[in-house]
Amino acid sequence: MSSRDSILQRVRQSTQKRVEHPGAFPSPALRGGWRGFEDRLVTVGGESIGPVARTQLARVLRPVVEHRASGGRVIAAASLCLELGEGPWTPVADDIPPHDLEDVAVAVVRGSIAVMENGAIGIHGKDAAVQALPFLCETLVVLLSVESVVPDMHEALAALPEDALHHRHFTWVSGPSKTADIEQTLVIGAHGPRALIAVGIDAE
Amino acid sequence: MSLLLQYQPNDVKRHDEAVFDLRLRRDRAMQEVPDFTVLKRHAAAIKAHTLDHLADYLEMFEAKAHAAGAKVHWAADAKEHNEIVLNLLQHHGVRRMVKSKSMLTEECQLNPFLESHGVEVTDTDLGERIVQLGNEPPSHIVVPAIHRRRDEIGELFHRHMNTPAGETDPARLTEYARQDLRSRFLDAQAGLTGVNFAIAETGTIVVCTNEGNADLGMSLPPLHIASMGIDKIIPTVDDLAIFLRLLARSATGQHITAYTSMVTGPLRSGELHIVIVDGGRTRLLEDPSKRRALGCIRCGACLNTCPVYRRAGGHAYGEPVPGPIGSVLAPILGSGPVAASLPQASTLCGSCTSVCPVGIDLHKLLLEWRHGTAKPDPDLRYGLRIAAWLMARPALYRRVMKVVCRGHPLISKRWPGNPASRWLDARELPEFPPMSYYEKRRSENR
Repeated sequence: MSSRDSILQRVRQSTQKRVEHPGAFPSPALRGGWRGFEDRLVTVGGESIGPVARTQLARVLRPVVEHRASGGRVIAAASLCLELGEGPWTPVADDIPPHDLEDVAVAVVRGSIAVMENGAIGIHGKDAAVQALPFLCETLVVLLSVESVVPDMHEALAALPEDALHHRHFTWVSGPSKTADIEQTLVIGAHGPRALIAVGIDAE
Repeated sequence: MSLLLQYQPNDVKRHDEAVFDLRLRRDRAMQEVPDFTVLKRHAAAIKAHTLDHLADYLEMFEAKAHAAGAKVHWAADAKEHNEIVLNLLQHHGVRRMVKSKSMLTEECQLNPFLESHGVEVTDTDLGERIVQLGNEPPSHIVVPAIHRRRDEIGELFHRHMNTPAGETDPARLTEYARQDLRSRFLDAQAGLTGVNFAIAETGTIVVCTNEGNADLGMSLPPLHIASMGIDKIIPTVDDLAIFLRLLARSATGQHITAYTSMVTGPLRSGELHIVIVDGGRTRLLEDPSKRRALGCIRCGACLNTCPVYRRAGGHAYGEPVPGPIGSVLAPILGSGPVAASLPQASTLCGSCTSVCPVGIDLHKLLLEWRHGTAKPDPDLRYGLRIAAWLMARPALYRRVMKVVCRGHPLISKRWPGNPASRWLDARELPEFPPMSYYEKRRSENR
């Protein structure tokens, strides 16, 4: 018998299938909002800008990105570059090898969902263009609609985009990369971004 | 190669405080969640349900992961797991692999196995990298190098990465490690990760880190291998919310880890292989009185609060998973020299039970083991028999104690030929008074 079959057989022999699933979690009606999300984001080492009007987005973003990049490479997904127009960002094709993005100073990506209870932002792999981009860059800038804020993880996962779980990674990012492995001292920038900036975009 | 490092007298105190600080952070974070007792009960109920339907959920997970393009492998034990991983690596001509935290691969002793077959494995979690360079196992499942001081880590980095001697600043040490590991990420031909949760209804694996090391390992090399125990399954995406709300809060007092990635199928340019491992878990499942231990999500909260773990440290357990949950798993999953007797090394104070986010009554499980199959340490039984014999003979006992009080330095120091040497390897005897209580009272009353 294969290991698969013998494992499954042993499991079947020792379980009765009598214990029922408790059902959906009765999520308390917390209220979520951009300000609440910002407050939490700061506690996890992130920064926030906005909310800004969509028409003003590129104008607000340009100096922030230029300052953080200080001459380094700024990358955004091709579709995002089109929307933002003229700026320090260059588009990235989604089929280039990730190793070519090793020296990116600032990456600008779209976020799908923001979670008030923990400051996490859901980033869809397809919005990153190249999956490794949000982890390779020094500063990660995430653009979010203020309407995308949900109160907790229950609602966040209920709001997952249709194609989020399809040949992609969907990553919840809460603040910059961090570690406390040396004597419990918090250090920002362990492997991934040293800074994370969330930019809220006003609903029209 | 062991560290040249010196034990310092306040190391035990430092470890105790560092670990208990995590416990206090956990308390604050959990108290902030208005419904956390409900959350905990719900988590326990989902785990009980999942374990009771585990075969169905494993099959569902396999089918969905397969449909998403992942290849699923099954391993009965550590040996089969290691061979599957090696075959995959050899098939892809991999010489260099990066690895993010996985307690399962510690359990399987994967690193030494792969290295003996010429694969260079780099642990990328900073804490795991530190213990890898020090050639020692992790001492904690969440913070693997919590037993090391910053000066020891600086010395290790100096020796292995040629960093300046005497550097002890955590920020600078972390930066050196970042630079060194970044080049290893870019060079790696494969990335191996653990799995925090595996969602049956979608075939998704979920990987949580704070450093982002798993994400680099999963997205740079073309080959991603994920190793998971059969106990990592949860039924639905909805259920994931419950566990994500509990895991980081219980582990470090964070509201969620900095990175939580949901991985469904391989990236367009690569391959994803998921290895599902039994490794004794079905034997735990067979025993209805201990089955619930498989509900553990490896947050480490029970370690952080345990009076024994805090003072003894993780290495004293001789198992990849130490602390209360480690002691519960060890009699079946363990292989170390004291695996069977670990349930004896507990105060049964119940602190572990009170902090467990999935409601496992750990102290009762420890007691279960004591009642039943856990074998007492033969040395201990021998010693207890001698003690009982001696205590039944008061006159002889007093004479022996007189000798012991005066001759104590001979016993408590390690010297070649001291019969207590082995026992003293991991312990220290307290200072003895110069006289026994009996002698003292006699001399006072005279």
